[in-house]
Amino acid sequence: MFPEGFPIVSLVLWLPALGALLLLLVPRASAERARQVALAVALLTFLVSLALPLGFRPEVPVAGEAPAMQFVESVSWLPLWGVSYTVGIDGVSLWLVMLTTFLLPIVVLSTWGSVQNEVRNFQILTLLLTTAMLGVFVAQDLLLFYIFWEFTLIPMTFLIGIWGGANRVYAARKFFIYTFAGSVLMLLAIIGLYVLNREAGRAAGMADYPGTLNFIQLVADMRGGRFTLDTLTERLLFGAFFLAFAVKVPLWPLHTWLPDAHVEAPTAGSVILAGILLKLGTYGMIRHCLTLFPQASAWAAPAIAVLAVIGIVYGALVAYAQSDMKKLVAYSSVSHMGFIVLGIFALNTEGVSGAIVQSINHGISTGALFLIVGVLYERRHTRELSEYGGLWKVMPVYAGITLLVALSSAGLPGLNGFVGEFTIMQGAFLAPGLGWPFLAFAVLGVVLAAIYLLKFYRALFMGEVSNPANQALPDLNRRELLGLAALCVPIVVIGIYPWFLFGPMQQSVADVVNNLASAVAGR
Amino acid sequence: MAYLNWLIWLIPLLPLLGFLLNVFVVRRERPAGLLASGMVLGAFVVAVVAVIGLAGLPAESRRIMSTGWQWISTGAFQVPFGIMLDPLTAVMVLLVTGVGALIHIYSIGYMHGDPRVVRYFAYLNLFITMMLFLVMGNNLLILFLGWEGVGLCSFLLIGYWFERRSAAEAAVKAFVVNRIGDAAFILAMLAIFASFGTLNFYDVEIGGVIQPGFLERIPEILGRTVGPSWQPIAVATGISFLLLIGATGKSAQFPLFVWLPDAMAGPTPVSALIHAATMVTAGVYMMARTESLFQESLATQSWVLWIGALTALIAGTAAVAQWDIKRVLAYSTVSQLGFMVAACGMGAYVAAIFHLLTHGLFKALLFLGSGSVIHGTHDTQDMRRMGGLRTAMPTTFWTYLVGAAALAGIVPLAGFWSKDEILAHALSHGNWPQLIILFLTSLLTAFYMGRQVALVFYGEQRDHSYHAHESGRVMTVPLLILAVGAALGGLMNLPFSIPGGHWLSDWLNPVLHEEPGEFNLALALLATAGAVGMGYLGWWVYTRNAARVKVGGKDPAYRYTGDIWDGMEEAWYLDAAYNRFVVAPFRALGGFLARVFDPQGIDGLVMGIGRFFTWVGGGVRGLQSGYVRTYALVFTVGVLLVLGFVLIFTR
Repeated sequence: MFPEGFPIVSLVLWLPALGALLLLLVPRASAERARQVALAVALLTFLVSLALPLGFRPEVPVAGEAPAMQFVESVSWLPLWGVSYTVGIDGVSLWLVMLTTFLLPIVVLSTWGSVQNEVRNFQILTLLLTTAMLGVFVAQDLLLFYIFWEFTLIPMTFLIGIWGGANRVYAARKFFIYTFAGSVLMLLAIIGLYVLNREAGRAAGMADYPGTLNFIQLVADMRGGRFTLDTLTERLLFGAFFLAFAVKVPLWPLHTWLPDAHVEAPTAGSVILAGILLKLGTYGMIRHCLTLFPQASAWAAPAIAVLAVIGIVYGALVAYAQSDMKKLVAYSSVSHMGFIVLGIFALNTEGVSGAIVQSINHGISTGALFLIVGVLYERRHTRELSEYGGLWKVMPVYAGITLLVALSSAGLPGLNGFVGEFTIMQGAFLAPGLGWPFLAFAVLGVVLAAIYLLKFYRALFMGEVSNPANQALPDLNRRELLGLAALCVPIVVIGIYPWFLFGPMQQSVADVVNNLASAVAGR
Repeated sequence: MAYLNWLIWLIPLLPLLGFLLNVFVVRRERPAGLLASGMVLGAFVVAVVAVIGLAGLPAESRRIMSTGWQWISTGAFQVPFGIMLDPLTAVMVLLVTGVGALIHIYSIGYMHGDPRVVRYFAYLNLFITMMLFLVMGNNLLILFLGWEGVGLCSFLLIGYWFERRSAAEAAVKAFVVNRIGDAAFILAMLAIFASFGTLNFYDVEIGGVIQPGFLERIPEILGRTVGPSWQPIAVATGISFLLLIGATGKSAQFPLFVWLPDAMAGPTPVSALIHAATMVTAGVYMMARTESLFQESLATQSWVLWIGALTALIAGTAAVAQWDIKRVLAYSTVSQLGFMVAACGMGAYVAAIFHLLTHGLFKALLFLGSGSVIHGTHDTQDMRRMGGLRTAMPTTFWTYLVGAAALAGIVPLAGFWSKDEILAHALSHGNWPQLIILFLTSLLTAFYMGRQVALVFYGEQRDHSYHAHESGRVMTVPLLILAVGAALGGLMNLPFSIPGGHWLSDWLNPVLHEEPGEFNLALALLATAGAVGMGYLGWWVYTRNAARVKVGGKDPAYRYTGDIWDGMEEAWYLDAAYNRFVVAPFRALGGFLARVFDPQGIDGLVMGIGRFFTWVGGGVRGLQSGYVRTYALVFTVGVLLVLGFVLIFTR
């Protein structure tokens, strides 16, 4: 499809940003045109990104010690400090990139209903945010990664702070400061890693060695024994990276920014936040924590798993007690993300690949749930559960889709959520450091998910239409139906045939966990 | 017999097709009903053909495995999406599709005129699909797919009239209580995979590679000598106990049976199909399927036995004291499921499956009969408002009588043979306490059926606000067919060494490896005498005292029993206990975490840190006063300090 060496990753990465530039040409007042252009850019990005899974080779021979990246592009940037523009994907980032490009058109589609003022600027920020998030997933240079990582904050903060609800400024500031504070230490750790690498290189006799921030080379150096960290340093660096990711996930007890951000964010912002932005954290854990600091990861795994399990149960309990739909979904995210972190720190193929699949699933299902909440909010301008009831009669199509999405989120077998959740639990059960006591609590999350999602469903859809304001609510319009139906397709397909996700990531995940195991064994 | 490999896929896929068509294409009542019924009937026909093909094979090779694709496959964790047909699955499939088809047809009449009837048939088809995956799955995860799928359909169908508060509540309750059992089931699967490295029941060949099955490897795994000697037993006990919890949820056993009586809020054919004949028997099927695992743990087996026996008794007492025609049958179902579970606990799996099959026939008959009564009395369910209906609805009456006699265990109807086999097994294996409990329960069974028949069909009609009428042909024909089944179902497994005797035992032998049970004439005579006597007593008491039964009044027996009657009516307050000791604390905890601990505790800490830095910032800002004299002072003090430090410490 594309010739060898075609910069396909860069094309996907920068297309949304180019689209944002294009939008500057659109007059500020013509909202409709801005939406159309944004949608076209989003669809184009998605179509181009399809080349990635189609061209991805699930089995490539691993060359040496480096992780096998594909579609790698590398341009020297600041050679004096070993900084380069290096992008590429492997089986882990492949599907997160696809999730991003898949959700983008749906997000843009939702702005027809949810965003009415300053539409053009909203689209510009959305597209810039997309490039930043894609950059996090494809960057294979630590500085580049960090730049993209921090850049995601800026558009998101504006999306919440300008287009948000009544308390938007507070929520935006909290979101920015909390996640920024979490990431500052990561910058220090990146610099530290660079300095240590340069010293190691020079000590080995390369007098002019500039050091490197290239992820692939760093990992190869580490695995080859050319660059080692002593235990304490490794743990400190691990901690600095982990903190940034844990805030983003968010891992209990670092989650309190999330409900505020979700409640205030516009629908499109919530979908991006829950659907993709949280995955930056889980991706970072796999890509950086597990790969760069295998021994520290194994050391910290039980403690992190405890936090994850607390998050699973705690998030579910708090979600149950909410009367605000968005808060309910937000806390359900805390619970679900706990499962993902548990899977990652099972440190085996089952757990990690389950965590990646569940990242995708959570993006789809929770994104859909936020769209669903948005549909009602646009009609009634309230998110209180008690305002609704009996909508099954009034909006049957909407009710049917909501049921499917809720069941997917609750982990019903045959739908996507179950596949990820079960694989994660199996991985955690098999992990020698974790085992059944963790699962005995984690499985409570499965019960509680059914409880809060059915509470949500019952409050909205069952019973009589008691509130006269709901008597004549229109069912989904064509645009809303299109967006939600598009999300229902992967919900069913992943549930029945998840191999298309699992297959391409097998080698990459095995690479991470096998090297981790041998690093731990070799200590 | 290669054709069986693809033929068996048609069995679950036909109802699935019906479901999809009814969801996306069909919009009118009549085609919806015909399509749904036709698909299930088609599945039944295919099942019959497949089972005949299966029976043509030699006994030891009667196991058709067919794998579609690898469902979940990552690392060592491999689960195929595969189904199978073996003798145990065969009888379940025939029951599900056969009784299911009759209930679909009956529903065409029963649900006529309902505004959402297309959706009803779609749900019903989906249920059949899921139930078929449950019994046909060749690994635990596919079984679990069906297991949760039927739970979902149960939710949808109990909540079919979702406007009604009771229906919505019952639907959610059913799903949540089932989920508690399902969570244990999940843990059991995790442990099975961790111990055996597979979730397949039997060896499956995929692409030339044989994936082992855990059921046939149990001795070899449990015989290993790694670790302490009690470890294998502990593993078997742990796993089978978790599976048991799963079964108590789905098969409505103590302490998780509370959802089933409430589930009667759904349409009556649904109660017949899901909450009597098929779904609730899933736990019994699952225990029979994993029988070799249960047999390894004496501890779990005794739990199974006691839970079954106690459930039978508790629910039997509760059934005596109900006024709602369907709640009597609901508690009776719980009680009969207790019989089956107890049989599993004794290791009498053939008897359990036998009772499952006959119960499926006669309980479906009774529920459909009650549906006919409800239909003919214009949605009356309170038996105090009935009475004397035998003249107005003769077909319903006679078929109901057959069903009631079969349930009560009267010779030679189906229930007699299957129940007797369970009792005989208890006797021959010396399970005396459980035998006594089950025997007492069977007396209660006869009593409450006598009571129900008397209240509904005998005496005078106590409420004349409606005009009772017999149901149409589309409803009575299924009743007649099921009545024949309830009468003759016992022929499946006659306990005599005659041609055709022990047929079910022999058929299931390749799966359950069980010798036919022995017939105990004395016990059979005693049980029959008891059943006839108690059934007559129940009938006699409530026809003699028919005049004392008043709409909204107390039961005639209430005078003599008082509080005990109240306790029976409320199923010994288990629901109230859950509300007080589980639901209320759960709500309180959730509320506390959401409204106090999270915003003030965790977020309070976060905001506190934020405020701390604001405060420090404010303090530091004071230093930036802009006065040069202040800066000069600070500078001088700093220089002095540094100098002092250097002079004192670096000498």
